[in-house]
Amino acid sequence: MDAVVKLAPGEEAPRGENRPQSSWLERFCFPFLFQTQNPDGGWGHRAGACSAVEPTCWALLALAGAPRSGEQEAALGRGLSWLCSQQLPDGSWPAFPGQAQGCWVTSLACLALHVLAPPTAGLGWSPACAGKPDALARGLGWLSRSWPGEGGLWWRLREKLLPNQNIVRQNSALRGWSWTPGTSSWVEPTSYALIALRKIPAELHPRGVAKRRRLGEAMLYDRMCPGGGWNCGNPRVYGVAGEPAVGATAWALLALQDYSEQAENQRSLDWLERSYAAIHGPGSLVLASLCLETYARSVPPLSVALERLYDANQFLQNVAVVAWAAIALSPARAALQWTLAARG
Amino acid sequence: MSSASHPLQPSFSRPSARVAIRRAESYDADLSALLFETLREFDLPVRGKTVFLKPNFVGLDPLGLINTHPVVVAAARESFLRLGAQRVLVGDGPALERDTEAVVESMGLREYLGDLAQTFVDLNVDDVHRVRLRTRASSLKALDLPQAVLTADFIVSMPKLKTHHWAGVTLSLKNMFGIVPGSCYGWPKNILHWAGINRALLDINSTVRPDFAIVDGVVGMEGNGPIQGTPKPCGVLVVGDDPVAVDATCARIMDLVPERIGYLKQAAILLGHLREEKIQQLGESVDTVRTPFAVLEAFRKLKRGKNGLALD
Repeated sequence: MDAVVKLAPGEEAPRGENRPQSSWLERFCFPFLFQTQNPDGGWGHRAGACSAVEPTCWALLALAGAPRSGEQEAALGRGLSWLCSQQLPDGSWPAFPGQAQGCWVTSLACLALHVLAPPTAGLGWSPACAGKPDALARGLGWLSRSWPGEGGLWWRLREKLLPNQNIVRQNSALRGWSWTPGTSSWVEPTSYALIALRKIPAELHPRGVAKRRRLGEAMLYDRMCPGGGWNCGNPRVYGVAGEPAVGATAWALLALQDYSEQAENQRSLDWLERSYAAIHGPGSLVLASLCLETYARSVPPLSVALERLYDANQFLQNVAVVAWAAIALSPARAALQWTLAARG
Repeated sequence: MSSASHPLQPSFSRPSARVAIRRAESYDADLSALLFETLREFDLPVRGKTVFLKPNFVGLDPLGLINTHPVVVAAARESFLRLGAQRVLVGDGPALERDTEAVVESMGLREYLGDLAQTFVDLNVDDVHRVRLRTRASSLKALDLPQAVLTADFIVSMPKLKTHHWAGVTLSLKNMFGIVPGSCYGWPKNILHWAGINRALLDINSTVRPDFAIVDGVVGMEGNGPIQGTPKPCGVLVVGDDPVAVDATCARIMDLVPERIGYLKQAAILLGHLREEKIQQLGESVDTVRTPFAVLEAFRKLKRGKNGLALD
């Protein structure tokens, strides 16, 4: 919290309605991300914080869209090296260094490795990941083996025998991905896994991934709120319809963009579009904008709104939020979008 | 770490708790003066210390109905600074909403605390440190917890007076779920549900026990809390130096039987006082401010019967 990164006078954020989006991106987002890289190569959740896997993945994915000199290439290489060094023996990634158990960030690490270290000389190999030639394959292996805790035989038996205890109505046979091993499926970790698996070519997938993807997609539709949109994954509790949330809705829609014409997608997009004007946070705003753009819905210029929000709280110095902004405003968005390019 | 000053101590050997109930009919009242005068009575060891205020910011709250009201948070911050605290930080890790900035902006927190980049900590993305839990009520054994909480000298739990659809009520003990970081455990922190909410609550509070509690009961929430319930004006602030005693007092104000709230009953073994005779009551009495809260059918057993006993 003490290490607040502010831009130098010569790097002030652009102002005015007519500034091109690239201005904000190049004058704020990319410099912020390069400046906040830690000496060990990773990024913390906030400027000055210890390196962690999630912000490192988002920063790497964002900087994939940055114009790069030799120095910046080296920075990306250090980032990739740090990321590879954090992989656990079972193929997963933990949230923070030193943790013994992998978790949801494994999807992001796989996506970042795929985008930044494509298999040029072997699966998952890049000079930055030398010595870890199978990092991506092992990560995908863990993802394919990582089942959530619900939906097993005992779970389903209990649901059948004790229907009154089923406070949350959902189809537990539709299993996605959990935040931490052995816990329940939730919308965001399932969306991250689906996005990573959709972006990484199927020929690199371990066996069984196609089935997992189908289950994960069905799980997302099962967890949609009755009026469209998603929250963390409780569409109905005690019979009361859950309120959708912008972030979860955007991630689910990005994961399901192959089904753009489906009624559920359209209903959720309508909700997101209606909610757009009332969004209070930069993270939600960026994700909503990226999502609506992916589905070819019109959105107001993002950088103008972001500039205003940055003035308020400096995004709470949240590295992931700046990285999402950079992704949304640059070609790096291809890591999260595929149907838009296909539509031309 | 704050909890180092709180040895796990059986209730029979623990000194009496002190809990003050103050009337505060609306958020327009001078809550800063009210809280400052109340806190002064407790002679709290905060001079020169870092105080961490842990409000309950569970989600987007443009109408000011579900989160600890920013007026109460600002009043507490100002009061602790006036009491000589060197630094007063405010922080939470919302359980259901990843966009913490959206949460605090939706409730206008910046207007009350100023530059949030300096005064507010998003506990969901703070640096973490592995902590071995001091009790084994759940299967958790250890958790990664935020540095901002672990390095604070004095922790204040600041919940809103609410019912909760999983735990019955959410008060100062349940509020401590918010220190568990989403960056490690997700949104929601589902590992705590799998470990058993009541048991996980005990383990977290035995490890990072709040030094003090301030409950925003000016307007609470009844029914299907903590988000989709109904606003319930109650007109009180409840503060005290024992989180179990504060929560028990709040339950009595809500016309619930604290002995029937699973985690509270368990917490009374090692973490604080549940029994009224062990709670030194300051300010208003429970009877003068009692406001029956509606609960979901699943928690009907928590309600106090007409004869003052629990319903069967």
